[in-house]
Amino acid sequence: MRTIFAIFKKELTSHLTTLWAWVVFTVMALLSSAFFVLLLGGFKQAQDIAREVPGGWSALPAEAQQFRNLTDGVMISLWGTILVVTLFVAPFLSMRLFAEERRNKTFELLMTTPIRPIEIVLGKYLGAVGLIVCTLGVTIVFPIILSIIGSSESGSALEWRTVLLGYFGLLLWGATNMAIGMFISSLTESQMVAAFVSFAVALLWMLVSSVAPRAEEPLRSVLNYLAFDSQLQNLIKGVLDLKPIVFFTSVIAFFVLLTHRSIEAQRWT
Amino acid sequence: MAMIEVENLTKKYRDRVAIDALTFQIKEGEIVGFLGPNGAGKSTTMKILTGFMPATSGKARVAGFDIFEKPLEAKRRIGYLPETPPLYPELTVRGYLHFVAELKGVPRGKVKSEIDRVAGGTGILPELGRLTGVLSKGYRQRVGIAQAMLGNPALLILDEPTEGLDPRQRKEVLELVKSLAGEHTVVLSTHILSEVKAICRQVLIIHRGKIVADDSMAAITGGKETGLEDKFIQLTAE
Repeated sequence: MRTIFAIFKKELTSHLTTLWAWVVFTVMALLSSAFFVLLLGGFKQAQDIAREVPGGWSALPAEAQQFRNLTDGVMISLWGTILVVTLFVAPFLSMRLFAEERRNKTFELLMTTPIRPIEIVLGKYLGAVGLIVCTLGVTIVFPIILSIIGSSESGSALEWRTVLLGYFGLLLWGATNMAIGMFISSLTESQMVAAFVSFAVALLWMLVSSVAPRAEEPLRSVLNYLAFDSQLQNLIKGVLDLKPIVFFTSVIAFFVLLTHRSIEAQRWT
Repeated sequence: MAMIEVENLTKKYRDRVAIDALTFQIKEGEIVGFLGPNGAGKSTTMKILTGFMPATSGKARVAGFDIFEKPLEAKRRIGYLPETPPLYPELTVRGYLHFVAELKGVPRGKVKSEIDRVAGGTGILPELGRLTGVLSKGYRQRVGIAQAMLGNPALLILDEPTEGLDPRQRKEVLELVKSLAGEHTVVLSTHILSEVKAICRQVLIIHRGKIVADDSMAAITGGKETGLEDKFIQLTAE
């Protein structure tokens, strides 16, 4: 346990004292605020229309109904957007995990101290999760801003249960991206290759849901099951759903074990 | 008691044989020079002894523990300086040594005194607050040796500890290694013969993956000034 924690701590210090992590945090902050402002603008527009139209909300079409409150009109869409941003930035955080150890020749140090390879992998993975939590942590300011300045007839501006469940879905997705990125980083010495391949994998995964409707059964059901957006749909909307939790936890466990196999296997070549 | 026992140790990289049925023993408390031309298999042997890499066949025991069957027990007794000092440029020397001490399981209460001990021994006390990434080559090498000494392992395996140092740094590092004798068993790989002559009592010469000499320094030099050079050149000829 102590060694896992030591590696976790080192991982966070290493990343937080180099420029990269801060660049990623900044990019996340910039992109998510841009989307936040856009969504807020759309929300205001819908509210203005609803006020002017005779009959108010009931006269508007069904797709406009989500703009009746901030939770549905802004937060859920924002989480959905950040989901995609995460996919783009996670590779830049995960690329260093093992590739950097190879390049610095510190991998030899880790493998010759009296610790098990699985402790190295778990320590690294916890560090990676810490980083993605920091990255996504930036975005929690948006619901806080809304709850301070927003208002609604029912009293509280936001439905916090919904917002936090969506946020949990986001973190789960981020942690999954880091597990995949860690495995890819364990395969190469080059950070750029690691980032690029992780990114390609994530992009392919994003395409699954658009390919699914065109596929034949039973392939279609399989693809629909594998598509991350359909898995996350409920959580993002604030519905507590066990299925995605089991799904993503399994994916994480699978890639953590794969990383373990990969660093074990490399000693044999 | 033998600190290292190696029997028929062989390592093949696909079709190339890196080391071929090595058999040797190293006694406790010795400083052993591990010599050979570049590419003779020195680093490969060291990587196997430290458990970084498994052998293709054969046995290796460190302090009585088989490195393949009881890797954690064996690794607890080894301090290892690889060819390149394994440093994290973004950590300070103190932060780095702290990290390695935790990996090696140095008891929590002793970490600080242990860091001071090895830093004092390697002369890096004034550098503890600096980032390892900005250190000169000589200091990087010393931090590497300090790291190997953490936890006071019985066996130190140093892969070319003086490589890339200037003459003064070379001398300092050698004196440091010499001062470790008795308390530690030291295996020192190098291709600089004068260094070995200065500090080692036992010499192992490896050539093309095979042991070509395993004897005391006195027996190999035969008392002559150029004895080690002559022997080395003779044994590692085609």
